[in-house]
Amino acid sequence: MPASHSPDRATAKALRLSGVTLDHRGGDGRPFRVLDIPDLTVPSGAHIGLRGPSGSGKTSLLHVIAGLIVPSTGTVSWGETELSALPAASRDRWRLETLGFVFQDFHLIPELDILANITLPASFSSWRVVRSEQERAAAIAARMGLVDLRRRTGVLSRGEQQRVAIARAVCRRPALILADEPTASLDAAHADEVGALLVDAANEAGATLICATHDAALLARLERRLDIETTSPLRELVA
Amino acid sequence: MNPFAMVLADLRALRWTAAAIVMLVALAVAIGVAIGAQERALRQSSAAAADDFDLLIGAPGSQAQLLMSTVYLQLDAIPLMEGSVLRSLTQDDRVAAFAPIAFGDVTRGYPIIGTTAAFAARWGRIAPSEGRLFAAEGEAMIGADVDYRLGESITPSHGVAGQAHKPGEADADEAGHRHAGHDYTIVGRLPPLGSPWDRAILVPIESVWEVHGLGNGHAAGTETIGPPFDGVTIPGVPAIVVKPRSIAGAYALRSQYRQGGTMAFFPAEVLVGIYRALGDARGVLVLASTLNATLVLASILLLLIAVTGLRRRRYAVLRAMGAPRLYVLLVIWLGMAALMALGCIAGLLLGGAAASVLSGLIEAQTGLRLAISLGRPEFLQIGVLFVVGSVLSLLPAIASFTNPIASGLRG
Repeated sequence: MPASHSPDRATAKALRLSGVTLDHRGGDGRPFRVLDIPDLTVPSGAHIGLRGPSGSGKTSLLHVIAGLIVPSTGTVSWGETELSALPAASRDRWRLETLGFVFQDFHLIPELDILANITLPASFSSWRVVRSEQERAAAIAARMGLVDLRRRTGVLSRGEQQRVAIARAVCRRPALILADEPTASLDAAHADEVGALLVDAANEAGATLICATHDAALLARLERRLDIETTSPLRELVA
Repeated sequence: MNPFAMVLADLRALRWTAAAIVMLVALAVAIGVAIGAQERALRQSSAAAADDFDLLIGAPGSQAQLLMSTVYLQLDAIPLMEGSVLRSLTQDDRVAAFAPIAFGDVTRGYPIIGTTAAFAARWGRIAPSEGRLFAAEGEAMIGADVDYRLGESITPSHGVAGQAHKPGEADADEAGHRHAGHDYTIVGRLPPLGSPWDRAILVPIESVWEVHGLGNGHAAGTETIGPPFDGVTIPGVPAIVVKPRSIAGAYALRSQYRQGGTMAFFPAEVLVGIYRALGDARGVLVLASTLNATLVLASILLLLIAVTGLRRRRYAVLRAMGAPRLYVLLVIWLGMAALMALGCIAGLLLGGAAASVLSGLIEAQTGLRLAISLGRPEFLQIGVLFVVGSVLSLLPAIASFTNPIASGLRG
């Protein structure tokens, strides 16, 4: 596993899910199947759109890939690394080095300002956020149309928060970007702009991008689309 | 890793909860510190007040009562012993020095104590801060806190046992019992002793005897003061302080004067008994303050569990972004440690202030000066509270690590 902390450290690798199922216990105590993915391979650097009705498991699939949930069965691998078998500490490190996640609810730290939110992941591994990292964060924020980086994110509009969340996810040039409805809070013009930025950022870093989204414009920007449904195993649709 | 940005963000987010935690900790620490420091100060200064009283001889009765009357001037009706004891002590080789102590008169609420000039100077340990020691009948020395000036004259009144006199104020009862024609002139002031004797007026024992028409205890026609008391009849006294030459002599004197119409004891032994009783009371206080600290810890823990429940999501987010568990624990611990430290410091100050106020009250009541100091027990107590409190704060977070991060994100 690459241990370097330099921004362009991890390179995209193939993501492979095989025999993955995820069961939850419903309100009546009976388990129900949230995910059932016999085999899915995402080549390195691919841009995938994930679509499906609400509750179809899009978020769960992203969480399984990110290692935030361990699947009930099956394996998730990133290149040669079998993520689903790693101990928690190694998975934390893998996420820090490889992954940029845009959460559906943004999950910003409202008491911190925009810049501190974007550079927060850098403080997980080093004492100081180096100047180049600060500058890149500022540059990305500027491209996202964010001004006055000293504002606390708690006072921002949803649209602004969404853009901070995306800036935070792509700032460290991750090799894998997972985005959960990244344009849901934006008006059409901004959504288009942010969608473009997300794809650009992925291109720039040669990263694999997986977006769960209903946004047709964003889906159109992505090379491949996957339909996910509650009842049937995931199947690939080429639009 | 640098958790400080998140620590600050957390403290900002907690605000009122943080203030409540600081206050709870401060109160717990303050109560513990005040009780501990107060109790120790009381013990130390009450022992220090008894320093010059090596061996006390009195008429048979209550040792505690005699001790309270002579050392702490909590005056009471004390039976007198034969004055002839003074004569035998003069001739005793084992005695380095001795002084009769007679009380009963008051002026403006200050007790007038008849004794010798040597004991007024505490066997030479202290010298008058103003003026000189009394050298003849009719002269008086005042304690450091007595509100009279040198050269003023004092008319003693006969005190009534059990009567509460307020120092510095004459009352109607005092006015009705004046010994007319027996005035004292103040010739000197003593430096502060930190004991109730700072509020006493010291006069020659001979004067006290004369005021009550008992003669002066010396051979007819002589007007000297102090030992030897060589009169044919020596008036009785309630107490004699003896400074023995040796420890062996002290024990021999104690056992000799335990019979034949007197009792003798070391104030220290009576104090040990009192402290033992105080110690029981202290045990109760310590238990109370430990319970108090436990309750505070419990409420902090509850607060934290509630807060961590709310913050489960926040910590899950950090983990989801790749923060190691250690980072999350550091953020929580540093935040809590900062609050606890703030609370401990505030509590120390608060407890010190409370103990000082309490000391002031005790001094006003008894004249015992209590020097408040913080000792190892207080710091130990605070240290335990700090460590236990801040470590307990980690438990909810550690417990949350067993759940998948994704479930924390939803919470």
